[in-house]
Amino acid sequence: MRSLVLTGLSFMLTASVIGNAYYQKKQFYPSVVYITKSNPSMAVMYVQALVFVVLMGKMLRALFFGQLRAAEMEHLIERSWYAVTETCLAFTVFRDDFSPRFVALFTLLLFLKCFHWLAEDRIDYMERSPAISWKFHFRALSLMFVLGLLDILFVRHAFYSTMSKGPSVQLVFGFEYEILLTVVVMTFIKYLLHAIDLQSQNPWDNKAVYLLYSELAMGFIRVILYVAFVFIMIKVHTFPLFAIRPMYLTVRAFQKAAQDVILSRRAIRNMNTLYPDATPEELSSGDNVCIICREEMTSGCKKLPCGHIFHTSCLRSWFQRQQTCPTCRLEVLRMPRPQQQQQQQQQQPQQQQAAQPQQAPNQNGQAGVEQMQNPFQNMPGMFGGMPFQWNGAGAAVPPPPPYMWQPPPQQQQQPQQQTPGAAGQAPTPASSSSSSPTSAAATPTTSQQANTQTGGTASAASTSMPSTQMPPFPGFPPFLPGMMPPVFSYAGFPSPPPSMAGLSDEELRVMEGVERSNIEARIQWLRDIQALLDGAMVLINQYNSVASQINSRHDGTSAPQVVPISTSPSSPHQQQQQASSSTTQVNWWPAGSGARPKYSSTISSTHVTNSSKERSGSLSSPSEKHESSDNVEKEETKGATGSSPKEAEIPKWSDPREEEHTDEMHEVRKRRLQHFSQHHLDSNSSNLDSSNSDKNNSESEEKH
Amino acid sequence: MAQKRIKKELNDFGRDPPANCSAGPVGDDLFHWQATIMGPTDSPYYRGVFFLTINFPTDYPFKPPKVAFTTRIYHPNINSNGSICLDILRGQWSPALTISKVLLSICSLLTDPNPDDPLVPEIARMYKTDRDKYYKVAKEWTEKYAQ
Repeated sequence: MRSLVLTGLSFMLTASVIGNAYYQKKQFYPSVVYITKSNPSMAVMYVQALVFVVLMGKMLRALFFGQLRAAEMEHLIERSWYAVTETCLAFTVFRDDFSPRFVALFTLLLFLKCFHWLAEDRIDYMERSPAISWKFHFRALSLMFVLGLLDILFVRHAFYSTMSKGPSVQLVFGFEYEILLTVVVMTFIKYLLHAIDLQSQNPWDNKAVYLLYSELAMGFIRVILYVAFVFIMIKVHTFPLFAIRPMYLTVRAFQKAAQDVILSRRAIRNMNTLYPDATPEELSSGDNVCIICREEMTSGCKKLPCGHIFHTSCLRSWFQRQQTCPTCRLEVLRMPRPQQQQQQQQQQPQQQQAAQPQQAPNQNGQAGVEQMQNPFQNMPGMFGGMPFQWNGAGAAVPPPPPYMWQPPPQQQQQPQQQTPGAAGQAPTPASSSSSSPTSAAATPTTSQQANTQTGGTASAASTSMPSTQMPPFPGFPPFLPGMMPPVFSYAGFPSPPPSMAGLSDEELRVMEGVERSNIEARIQWLRDIQALLDGAMVLINQYNSVASQINSRHDGTSAPQVVPISTSPSSPHQQQQQASSSTTQVNWWPAGSGARPKYSSTISSTHVTNSSKERSGSLSSPSEKHESSDNVEKEETKGATGSSPKEAEIPKWSDPREEEHTDEMHEVRKRRLQHFSQHHLDSNSSNLDSSNSDKNNSESEEKH
Repeated sequence: MAQKRIKKELNDFGRDPPANCSAGPVGDDLFHWQATIMGPTDSPYYRGVFFLTINFPTDYPFKPPKVAFTTRIYHPNINSNGSICLDILRGQWSPALTISKVLLSICSLLTDPNPDDPLVPEIARMYKTDRDKYYKVAKEWTEKYAQ
């Protein structure tokens, strides 16, 4: 009613202005000149023009849309507000070009924008309206055709005018119409999808997928357009303040679309591959209504890890929006997370508890061996970090999953905790093979030192170990001699990997890999780790020798430069240490081999043979083969607690795998060892000497 | 899909309507409903009748319905436009929810406002500091607008 009055008023005013002019000038041209010269008359004319535009809009709306729905109207008004404010901002940038023509162009743009929005809304409405008439199709198609045509025309015009006359306000128009063109295209795609969907009675599962992808593509195009526009505008004029809001919204929409696509793809792939189909028994028992569509489930149903059952198609549609269980909100993609954490938490205390009672009863004998092993158990970063780094370097071979930090005994005891398959078993070769060569490397060097040792006494040996310089391993009794010197600290190794808990099962599986190349690379890595460990052991021995040198000097005995005193052949403790070391190793091996996946047999056998060869060479009192049982923990405890009785049953390692020994591998390893020892002797011995001698001196002085 | 499910919900609603609530489509548009909620007895909204509009999105039940009060109400989580600040109507929506569950949630929101996540901070502040005054104003508004 009010608009009617206003329209009437405007018409009356216009009529009076024109009448007045014509009455005064009597002729057409003088009247026109009169009106254009008079400001009040022009104001009236502009208002009249606006009224015409509104009337025209109403007419076109009635033609293309019929009656607007309340939601459409609300939407339109809300968006118009933003558009008007942005247009005003644009005026400030182009205030030099300000002219009636310019205003008219902006008005036209707004006018067309409104129709684009309405078209979008109307096409969305298609999906929910009960019946679509031919009239609707005709209207929608013709509207989209007209809008698209107009957009193309304006873009063309803007392009040519910019090309011929240089950058002007046409730049903004061209860009705006390009954006509107993408809107038309998107609307048309939606229309097509909805129209196809309407043809069939059954709901079309893939429609949402196509919608998702077309939205992603359009979002990408829009983002590019906006970026290009802002870039050009900054170069030509100034920063386009009026484009910030739509640009921000576009970028965010694109980001969301991309995220949606990624997450939904992952969830749907999980659904297709991981989750089991619901069995008829499960369907027939209890409530078999799909909670999503409220229809009965007869076939084509999937069971989520939480046990809830849905139609596959419903679940797919839901996963395209969110990746949770509709019933219990379980985050499907993060599903493995709580289990892993729980596992690790469970095993951490177990591991420490297992380590402590082993060490306590035989502080002297077993200590050295325990240290050989424990640092590796306690340093997950070593094994976890390196593959990660390596992965980051672009190698195709994935790092092992977080399960790998489980110590082998636990793996044996709790096999049911691990997911069956390669993912769960991969850790075994990594941890067992890496811990074995360590002690293997330790054993020969110790014996070598023992042979060459001249003036070392038991007291010197005990003081030579800087027990006060303990590496900060949790759960270690502080009084253990033969502690690992800090040379073996974390410093040389990459930092622990970021939590892998954020990765989905699937990602881990992908990273795991089962191809030949992956396995080869893995083996290569294990070799490298071995070499590193060997190098570290050389360093330790060097350190020990330095320490002992200082101590012996302190004791008044003159020791040669190379004499290490870490072990003495006359000391029963040392023999015990060696003995139990080998015992534990032997026990470790069958344990590891039980859980070891097939493909890793080459690596482990190599390691076994290497280590066992060296060990057999180094062991002074080999005896009959130790019978390895399956219960590893028990064995380990035996090995740990049994000090003198163990000596009798020091095993002569005669694993059948020994026959598979390859000389080549041994050579490689030897060369590495040599390389390391040489390198470190050359470069580090002086450093070590100078840096550690002072410390050790003071410590040993304190002791004595 | 959406239409089928809304029809089913309408049937279920008619068969077993939740206490103090009613709902149904406006005209023949299944996607646009009107609902009423009777003020819960242990709240200042007692004896009030509150009207709500429900608009179902095209991809219902995968997106939440849009629910808004058309009757004015004095509540920390409902603003003057009738918008409701309720998690299940936004990010916590799940296809397992139905209109009757949503209406029940709104009923319980009337009884127990959530001042820690307010839509109208002033009302939330009053609710926290001066419960009696809040009660009084809410009662006044109920008498004024909802009876």
